[in-house]
Amino acid sequence: MEYARRVDIFRRVKTDYAGFLTSVLWRLTGDKELFSEALQYAMLEMWRHVEKLNGKKAGAYIYRIALSANSKAWRNRIGKNGQFSDSQFEIAAEPQRRTDDAELTTKLRKSIALLPAKQSAALVMRYLQQQDYDIIAQKLGCSEVTARSNVSKAVSALKRVLRYE
Amino acid sequence: MNDKKIEDILRNLAQEHIPQDVQKITEETLRNFNETLLPPKQHILWEKIMRSQFIKFAAAAVIIIAVGFGVWLFVEGSTSVALADVLQKVEQVQAFMYKMKMKTTGNAQPTMPGGPMEMTGTILISNEYGMKMEMDMNTVVNGASRKMRQLMYVLPEEKKVYMIMPEQKQYITMEFDESVLAMMKKQSNDPRDMLKQILNSKYTDIGKSVIDGVEVEGFQTTDPACVGGMMEDVKVTLWVDRKTELPVREEMYYKINEQMQMEGVLEDFVWNLQVNAGEFEPTIPPDYNTPLPAGYKMPTASEEGAIEGLRFCEQLLGRYPKKIDMINLMNEIVSIKDSNSPTAAALKLREELKGGMDKLPEEEKAKKIMDIMRPVQSLGMFYMTLVQGKKEPVYYGDKVTAADSNSVLMRWKISDNEYRVIYGDLTAENVSTEQLAELEATISK
Repeated sequence: MEYARRVDIFRRVKTDYAGFLTSVLWRLTGDKELFSEALQYAMLEMWRHVEKLNGKKAGAYIYRIALSANSKAWRNRIGKNGQFSDSQFEIAAEPQRRTDDAELTTKLRKSIALLPAKQSAALVMRYLQQQDYDIIAQKLGCSEVTARSNVSKAVSALKRVLRYE
Repeated sequence: MNDKKIEDILRNLAQEHIPQDVQKITEETLRNFNETLLPPKQHILWEKIMRSQFIKFAAAAVIIIAVGFGVWLFVEGSTSVALADVLQKVEQVQAFMYKMKMKTTGNAQPTMPGGPMEMTGTILISNEYGMKMEMDMNTVVNGASRKMRQLMYVLPEEKKVYMIMPEQKQYITMEFDESVLAMMKKQSNDPRDMLKQILNSKYTDIGKSVIDGVEVEGFQTTDPACVGGMMEDVKVTLWVDRKTELPVREEMYYKINEQMQMEGVLEDFVWNLQVNAGEFEPTIPPDYNTPLPAGYKMPTASEEGAIEGLRFCEQLLGRYPKKIDMINLMNEIVSIKDSNSPTAAALKLREELKGGMDKLPEEEKAKKIMDIMRPVQSLGMFYMTLVQGKKEPVYYGDKVTAADSNSVLMRWKISDNEYRVIYGDLTAENVSTEQLAELEATISK
């Protein structure tokens, strides 16, 4: 695809989905630096795969890109052993978030970033975007039962992980 | 952990208000990305390097050290009576400390952290033990501020540099070779060297003033050679206590290129300190990790390193780099992404960076990036030492190719009537002034 055409598509998609990306990535990161990093990854991936963003499936691709960008940003933040450095929390977190609930929320966000792609997508659509299962199924390209199953598996996985935190 | 709580938190996340400054980050990111789309200049190397905070730091550290070395270089001879007296005075000092404030704007090159950066630090220098630097850096990228604390030890006896980042629980150890050690032995990193640089540059006495109640005399230079030819514009002002003849304050302004400026102040000097070896022993807690293997070598500032760098660049670019000052050199190397006719080596590198890097563990990724950069940095550092040493280096990379085995690619002065020459085929020899004139006459034709 010629360069000028790629630029056109990219600019249009970027305008259309800026609000979506801000909303999803902020809720999944909750930290300005992490958010900024994830947003940049998302932009980069959108540019790389811009030809796929020029059709009906653009929305589904953007989802995949956003969640993958979120995972990448979190993976960079997470240490070698899969654990956070406490001091990193202190630096990144806003003072008002330094409560038990805020720490739990951060751990939850990290855990979402580590979920399998379909589960995290289903979870985000269901909880963060409060979409109905038929819409989720449509966006994920699966049956409604599978969409429910993905959400359920995601929640179970989060509970399992956080129970041992 | 209450399972119900997880679902509650998830629902709360959906209701979470998005702060105004987050919206602003989005706007800035989108705008910045738009700008990169105008000319397609998203460099693969840059992108990969910038993805990893650690690699970003490690790479930047090498540059910081390289710039530091620039300041450390000894320049023989002095021309000023008054400043020479000051130099004599400070050379008697065995240990001292001072505070540094630096502020950079813009991006000099891909290996430097992006966005405006402020650094404040305390530097302790001992002729016997080396240097210890504690620095706090604050970088702003897309409106988001990132703070980083780092401790750096340069220990000439061990021939090692340690860089420790407590917040990340990470550290780097790099060994340096004789060429770098030789530079460091001539000078320990400090404002004394800038004093020597000023002494040997074209400087002016800007008269008397008063700083914190102390009567001082100011000396100023705008000679780019005093920082290794890395900067386009330089303005360094040194204020000396008229009574003690010791420096009180040093103000620096560097314009690295059109995009980046750096300004800083060295102040709060404490001269003639008592120090002990323990203050220069790096403490690395057992839970800290490093992405570099033990014994990892810093770039060398030797002729051999420079030749290796020229060979590496030639393979990558298909020609020699046009300029070899550190900034232009690094920028030229990362520009291979945009080359319409990349060399086999560039294609291979592109593929490696494009495909496999993300899958590599952090250690291998860091080592790979450092390995790529090392020969390039060696070349840049070597050239910098020649500029600072006033060895009259001249480089003809824009005219000479690898096929020009008898043409001078680079030369520098080694004595009053002798020059060292690296030819287009990367062989090197000493030539007389007359021979050099004949060789260079061929190039200009």
